[in-house]
Amino acid sequence: MTSFERVLGALAGTPQPRPPFTLTLSLFGARLTGCPLQEYYRRPDRYAEGQAAVVDLCGPDILFAPFALSLEAEAFGSDLIFLPDYPPNVRKPSVRSADGFIALPLPDVDSHPSLAYLRESVRLLAAEHAGRIPVCAIVTASVDLPAMVMGIDQWLETLLSDPDLASRTLEHAERHFVALANALLDDGASFIALPIMFSNPQVLFPRMITEVILPALARSFSQVRGPIVFHHGGNPMLPLLREYLGLPNVAGYAVDHRDSLGDARRLLGSDRLLLGNLSGPTLSRMPIDSALETVDRILEDCRDDRRFIFATSGADIPISTPPELLRAVAGRIASFPGSP
Amino acid sequence: MDIEIARKQLFDRILNGDRQGAVSLLDQWAERRHWRNTITELLEPVLDEIGRCWSAEKISLAAGYLAGRIAEDILLKAAGAEEAVPVSKGPVVIGNVEDDYHSLGRKLVGIFLRTAGWRVVDLGNDVLAGDFVDAAVASAAPVIGVSAMMLTTAENIRKVREELDRRGLSGRIKLAVGGAVFRIRPELVAEVGGDGTVASAVDAPRLMAELTGGGIWA
Repeated sequence: MTSFERVLGALAGTPQPRPPFTLTLSLFGARLTGCPLQEYYRRPDRYAEGQAAVVDLCGPDILFAPFALSLEAEAFGSDLIFLPDYPPNVRKPSVRSADGFIALPLPDVDSHPSLAYLRESVRLLAAEHAGRIPVCAIVTASVDLPAMVMGIDQWLETLLSDPDLASRTLEHAERHFVALANALLDDGASFIALPIMFSNPQVLFPRMITEVILPALARSFSQVRGPIVFHHGGNPMLPLLREYLGLPNVAGYAVDHRDSLGDARRLLGSDRLLLGNLSGPTLSRMPIDSALETVDRILEDCRDDRRFIFATSGADIPISTPPELLRAVAGRIASFPGSP
Repeated sequence: MDIEIARKQLFDRILNGDRQGAVSLLDQWAERRHWRNTITELLEPVLDEIGRCWSAEKISLAAGYLAGRIAEDILLKAAGAEEAVPVSKGPVVIGNVEDDYHSLGRKLVGIFLRTAGWRVVDLGNDVLAGDFVDAAVASAAPVIGVSAMMLTTAENIRKVREELDRRGLSGRIKLAVGGAVFRIRPELVAEVGGDGTVASAVDAPRLMAELTGGGIWA
């Protein structure tokens, strides 16, 4: 059975010999191949080599395209900062107002170098692992993009003080999101995942989420020609999970490590894909024994769940994580009996 | 209206994102009690409660931001009515560390410090270590507050500590640190040479008071 069949089986809810799994090892491929990060996040061939090494290390059932949302901000003119052990981050927002953001031309998804890197990485991964391992492309949600390009404070201020300007800002961001998401799907991504911050009540008022953010997400999601995974974005997802269920084209929900998988399943119902919830960013500081205990608990909690994919929650797994820990986690999942 | 009811209403309006309603309530209170009393008996206790909830992750970033903007509005109105909050503490120097442009937390810290009567010297974004120390020496500030959102930029705070050490000022000038990364990795405070931190901008006046041994300075 291939990883592709295993993931499709989870989508369809058919019994599995073992649960499908993935670990967010976008960054980690650079460690496995010894590739400097400035090269890794600029050269699609080096990125694809890194992901081939990830497959050799632990054989995940889903591979990730570059988890580097800052490259989209770069396409809008933001400065990036590269450091030895982390994906690139936004050093300086390119504009300091919503009007400035709207005035920025949309980057061409066919020619802008930052976006071309993302697209070529997807093409290489899809070609190399075609029919065997699904590729997930990670895209910035339209509701978060303005924060990356103009700064969180400016985006909050716009949302709180000028509904009309916020609406026009979202429309501008949506056009970019839809163009990039569809391009990545055309390039061979099996689905796209969106870590979404501004849909979370830890970030925004619930009323604003339901009245402004979710309609904007619904508009953009409905234009995407492929399945979407709604990722928790770094905060617990359950408080508003029920509100997210009406969004179009969402095939699965990746929850936070602090969320209860049982409660998540109850809220989702039996038909939707559930992903999570081993904390990825803290794995580097976990002894192998306690990591495996957590893996066991998650697997037991979801033993009867046919639409569950074991995944790490949060951001990328740190580059300092011992490879033997990742191999042990993958081995424990692979040896676990699947859903009945 | 009873003060406790007013505080509860103000708290609820901020948590619900009702900026106009919150400011209107404060305006009405000020008509009866003047601005300075409005700040001390109504606004500050609500900000304290918001700080507690924010630290416990019980309220949203937007609510914390809105509380800051409301406090800023009220300070301006008080100043316009010649009832400015008396500046009785500080000064403190604040800024985002070298290479950091994520100004939200730093701006809120400045607002909440001013609301509590601190004189604030705000150096803005991307401030070099030497500039922090120069400003602290020039203004006789006993505390430098440095903000960094990410681990990558938080590492630059070490340079501020090194500059304080190099000039023999450590101990005389305290180093407060803050930003999202310190909530995720509290051990980082000591690693970068910080003397203290708090989990939310609303709590900044308390931290400054602790670092200055009570906070009455100038």
